[in-house]
Order: sequence, then C-alpha cells, then structure tokens
Amino acid sequence: MTAALLRTRAFRDVAVVIVLVFGVGSIAMLLAHVSPFDGFYALIDGAFGTKYELAETLVQTTNLLLPALGIAIAFRAGLFNIGAEGQLVIGGFAAGWLGAQLLLPGYLAVPMVLLAGVVAGGAWGAIPGFMRARFGANEVIATLMLNFVAALLTTYLVTGPLQQGGAGAAETSPLLKAAQLPTLFGTQLTWAFVIALGLAFVMHWVLRRTVFGYELRAAGDAPEAAKRAGIDLSRTALLAMTISGAFAGLGGASIVAGELHRFNTGLSPGYGFIAIAVALVGNLDPRWIVVAALAFGALQSGGYVMQAEAHVPREVVSLVTGLVIVALAGRRVVAAQRST
Amino acid sequence: MRKRFGAVQAVDGVDLELKPGEIHALVGENGAGKSTLAAIAYRAIQPDEGTVSSDGVVGLVHQHFKLIGRLRVWENVLLNREPRRGWAIDAGAARARVRELGTTYGLQVDPDAVVETLPVGIKQRVELLRELDRAPRVLLLDEPTASLAPGEIASFFTTVQDLARRGTAILVVTHKLAEVIAYSQRVTVMRAGRVVASHLTGETSAEAIAREMVGGEVPALAARASTSVAPLLEVRNLSARSGTSALREASFEVRAGEIVGVAGIEGNGQSALSDALAGVVPFSGTIVFEGTPLRPDDAPASRLARGIRVIPQDRRHEALVLEWNVRDNVALGRQRTLRLAEFGAAAREVIERFDVRPPNPDALAGALSGGNQQKIVVGRTLISAPKLVVAYQPTRGIDIGAAALVQSRLIEARNAGAGVLLISFELDELFAVADRVLVIANGAFVGAFDRGNLDRGRIGALMAGHA
Repeated sequence: MTAALLRTRAFRDVAVVIVLVFGVGSIAMLLAHVSPFDGFYALIDGAFGTKYELAETLVQTTNLLLPALGIAIAFRAGLFNIGAEGQLVIGGFAAGWLGAQLLLPGYLAVPMVLLAGVVAGGAWGAIPGFMRARFGANEVIATLMLNFVAALLTTYLVTGPLQQGGAGAAETSPLLKAAQLPTLFGTQLTWAFVIALGLAFVMHWVLRRTVFGYELRAAGDAPEAAKRAGIDLSRTALLAMTISGAFAGLGGASIVAGELHRFNTGLSPGYGFIAIAVALVGNLDPRWIVVAALAFGALQSGGYVMQAEAHVPREVVSLVTGLVIVALAGRRVVAAQRST
Repeated sequence: MRKRFGAVQAVDGVDLELKPGEIHALVGENGAGKSTLAAIAYRAIQPDEGTVSSDGVVGLVHQHFKLIGRLRVWENVLLNREPRRGWAIDAGAARARVRELGTTYGLQVDPDAVVETLPVGIKQRVELLRELDRAPRVLLLDEPTASLAPGEIASFFTTVQDLARRGTAILVVTHKLAEVIAYSQRVTVMRAGRVVASHLTGETSAEAIAREMVGGEVPALAARASTSVAPLLEVRNLSARSGTSALREASFEVRAGEIVGVAGIEGNGQSALSDALAGVVPFSGTIVFEGTPLRPDDAPASRLARGIRVIPQDRRHEALVLEWNVRDNVALGRQRTLRLAEFGAAAREVIERFDVRPPNPDALAGALSGGNQQKIVVGRTLISAPKLVVAYQPTRGIDIGAAALVQSRLIEARNAGAGVLLISFELDELFAVADRVLVIANGAFVGAFDRGNLDRGRIGALMAGHA
C-alpha cells in the first residue's frame, strides 16, 4: 500500500497547509514588524488584484502544475520522484538551446521547442526509472542526486561549450520570435496554461479509464498483487518515471518559451520542489492538483507584491512553502518507504 | 467480560472459569472473540467491563512465536530475567536454569542453540520454556499446533497434559476440533463475542461443536463427479527459491480433472513451489504444461495467458488492492482482456456465485471480512475458466461456511475439467478435497498417497521429516 499511503488524510492536509500559511506567516510578519493583516492583504491583493497580477498568478500556477502532475504520476506508481527540479531544468535547457537556432515558422517552432523539453525531461526521468527497473536502485536517492547533476551540467554547458549570451552570462541566446509561446488576453499569460489544464484532465482520464492507468495504480497501491496479476513492474516503473520527467521537462520548456525567452540557470526558484507539496496537497488527484497549484501559484506571485508594498520579505513565502513540504512530503514519504 | 473495538463488540458479556489441572478448550470461528478473551485474561488488553482474577502468574504462548531469532535459547528463555553476577549476566547459571527447566518438564533444548536455526517444533518448546520459567498457575495457548506436524502435536499435548497434572490451569484456543476432542476436559464455544455453549468434552462431539460454532448446519461440500483425467502439468526436477523458501528437485504431475493436494508444514518449500508456477521466481528443471515447456524466466503474464492461475497465500498483499473496490479487484489479472465496461458484469458474477457480502461492487476490498475477501480472490480466478489452478492455503483464516464454499467451488472446477494443485497446511482439508496427496518436507516431495489409502499417521511422519 505504498502509493495509497500518500493519498490519505486529504482534508487534514488542507488544514495543515492553512494553519502553516496563516499561522507561521503571521508570526514571520510580526517578526518583520508588519501587521499580518496588512501583509496578507498585500499578498492576496498582489495575487488577484489586477488583470496583470491575476495573469502572473496563473503563470506561476502553470509553472507548478506541470511538474506537480508529473510528480503525481510517479507517486501514484509508488515511485518517489523528487527529481522534478532537475527534469524541469534539463527540459528548459533543451528548449532554450533548440529555440535559439530553429529557423521555422511558429506553428512548427513552438511545438518543437516544447517537444524538446518533453523529450529531454523524459530522458532525465528515465535514467532513475531504468536504474530502478534494471538494478532495483532507490529512486529517491537517484532522483535527488540527478537534480544536482542537472543544475551543474546545464551551468557548465551555458558557461562553457554552449555559451551564447553576453560575456560571462550563464544563459543561451534569446529564442527566435517564432519559437516563443503566444500570449493570451494581452497579458504575460501564455498557451502553456491552457496546455497544462488540458493535460490535467487527460491525466485524470488515463488514470481512471485506461489499462495503462489501471496497471500503474495497481503497481503503486499493491505491487505484490500487481506482479502476480501479470503487471510488469519494471516496465511500469520505467514508463511512469519517463512520463513524470516529461511533464517536468514540459514545465521547463514552457518557462523558457513563454516567460524568459531564453534558458538561464536561474530558470526555476524551486518549482520542482514546491510542486511536491502541490501534488500532495492535491491528494495526487489531477483535478485537485489544479486547485492546489492555483493556491501555491497565488502565494508565489503575491509574495513579490507583498515584499514591494508591505515590506514583508518574500522569504516568508519560501519559509511557509518549505514547512508545508516538510510537514506533508517528509512525513508521508518516510512512512510509505518504511512500509515497503 | 466486555470489550469493544470501534464498531465491533469483540467480547460481549463472557464468563470463563479455568480450574487447576484442567485442559479447557476455547473454540470459535475467526472473529468470534476468542483471541481477545485470551489477551484480556493475560491482561494484555484492558476490558471495558469485567474483572480477571487468578491464583498466581498467567502465561501466554502466542500463535506466532515472539522469539528473537538471532539470540540463543537461554537468552530468549530468560530475557529480562537473566541471572546476574554483579553487573554481568551469569551465563553459566542461565544455561543451568534452562537445562533444569527442560528436565523438569521433558522439554530438552540445547541452551546455546541460536533460535533461528531451530525447527518450528523446537522453537515452540523455547516459547513454552520462557513461560514456564515464570511458574505460571494459568497457561494460555493460542493456536499452539498451527505450525506443528501431527507427530509433534501428539508430543506437545503430552507435555501439556503433564503440566495439567501438576496443577496448572490450561486454556487452549484452537479451531482444530479433533484436538479438542482428544485432549481437553472441557470446551467453551464462542460465536460473535458470546459464549454459545460450554460442555464437558466427553459429553459432546466434533460435529456438535462445529454446529455450535457456525450457528447452524455446516454446509456440505460439492459432490465429486467422476472425471476422465488427461495429462495437463508435468513437473520434473523442479528447483526454485522464493525468499527463505526453497524447493529441491520436485517431480509430480497434475492431470486435468483432479485435485492434487500438497501436504506439509508451513515453511517447507510451498512458497517456492507456488511462486515458481506463478512465474514470480525463476526455476530450474522442467515444467511441461499441455505438452509445451514453460520458460524458466517467464513473467506471470505469460502464465496467466496460458490459463495457469495462482491463488496466493497472502490475500491482503499478494492478491488484493485493499484500497480499491470489489469491481476493480475482480478485474485484476484480466485487465488486458476485459474491457472497462465488462468489469461490472464480472464483479456481479463473482458476487453472485460466491455469495460475497455485502453484494456491492463498489465496496472497498479492505473493508470486507477475510472470508469475503477470499471469495473475491477465488471467485475471480475460477470465473476466468482456468486450466490449472494453484490454490495456496485458500481457506486460511476464514470461517467454516466460507471455507466450505471455496472448497466446493474448487471441486466444481475439477469436475468441469480443470487441474487443481491444492497446497495446504491442514490435513483435514486435503483429506476432504484432494484426489491425491503429495507430502512435502524440507523442500522435497517425500511421499504420494491416493485418495483410497490416505494414512494420517504415515503422512504426519513424512511431514515431520521422518522418511
């Protein structure tokens, strides 16, 4: 019942999150000599107050939603993929590198750039998947370590052999115009948001209504029973990790193609880690993950405004998010690992 | 005595009195409350109502031994009561104490043997010695013979009778009625948390006790039709390993239209046999099924595709997804052949033919009783028209009615032409159901008996490893 252990107590978790956000958030604001009322007003107003602020919230939602869906796929298969951050960075790098040299019209260039992220992220996820399937390697350690490998590898590439930005800048050349994601409603919001929402519903359907989804859930919830029912656990692990990485890789590509328009090493403020909390708060159910991603997206975007207007350090948001990860992910991953 | 666990009234107003020198049997189906009652008597569980009083120490020997495998016999027997010399443990005195206990009670064990290297029967002696060191006036034995061979059972009860003669009050919690009749002076029958009957053993019979346990007539087994047997499975020199379970050079046949029983004590290679046939572990030797050899490195899927279906021993971990509903569990193993729209019909067929309660395809498997869980596992296996069924302890821990239903459906599958390999630790079950009985000991097949000349004494000796 490894994966199932990760999915219980959804409502208690929502309560934990609310207590942490408002309780710890208030204490931190008081320590910064700011009234929590003013601080939270600035946070919420900053997340939803204007069309552009709302658009920024949805951009942040997208950046969390894609890796969170990938994490959920792996967790549902009983695999603790905590390497979404690395998969996202690798996907972003592949998209940035390809997007800087594609001389194609937009209807070809944009899909190819996103696909580059999917393939690279998927391959990065497949490495621990293969190690697990072939050698029984612990995927927690492998995915965690590959985060560092991804960060250092891309840093090396953009500061060394593939350096394209200005002197010493750790980034690729800008994407050609045709390779950039089109925006929506005259804001910074892009089609990536629509794609991510659509994928959430596709994933829900696949999990509930297809043989692949059935076998993946069986492998995660009761591996011994699944094995005896003819389900190939190695193949399932490899596929789940590959798909998981592909989601995170798409997330990285959409940041590059929609927001930064180039790859740089500061691409992610830890989306791949925050997404673990998003996936768990969403009870590993794609529909609820959308809701959780919106909540965490609002925290992210509101945090910037809160810092600017209420003079509360943005780190309060990082602090609260970190505590949520420790409270939810730490406890459950340890419990589920122990039960195997 | 009353004790409630959540919504379940486990023990509901029970009085029980044990007398010095008397062997008292406590019988009842799974969930009747007998283990709870024993735990209350041992003061391991606090009752909601009622009191326990005893004239001296109460000892309890668990069904699953609570021994520390890596420690020596004396370290286990005297754990937390070690004789001391200053700050150190006096190992010499400890060994002498264990030897003295062994001589007193006729339970000789080498005090320096490491427990995990000992056979089950000896482990039980160690368990018993540990309790006897506390000089109990009352000794509670929870399913004490569950993992003993028939010969070991007789010598175990000789010890117990000897203890009773010295004035110890003894309670034996069991479901084996033959032992109740043979060794107890008094028997108390529990059903659904209450005492439904209490007799002097001499004034009742196994059949009467069974009726009292069930609360009605014990269902009869399906009739055995005469079948025309045909070759189906031929196993030659099969060796396999699954965890600590090992099978060595086993050769046997299962023909279509017969039930072949495998008699043996738990831990003698049955798991390796079951897993090798399921395709869960690789094997060496040959397995020929319907004239074609099975590949040693096959995955379970290819065995399923050929009509070989295994009912695993551990239904909760190896057969069911407890967090799923009945419908999705019934489809498990046929998820590639059934379409999603057909899951419901398959579930309804299993619920109907196997009397699953509640009859609700949306009920969570984990919320069902053990008997109903097992009906789902056996049901989904048999409705898929398998050619070979490997049933490993298919009636373990389920009530008499559910067990009779499972056994009847296996007989019907045999009547319809399936081959059945029934691996069981219960000789009674094999005698009731099997056409032939093979005996397994230490991972090897050591004897074969036709239904016409089943010899309980001989089979028991072979099970215990006496060739």
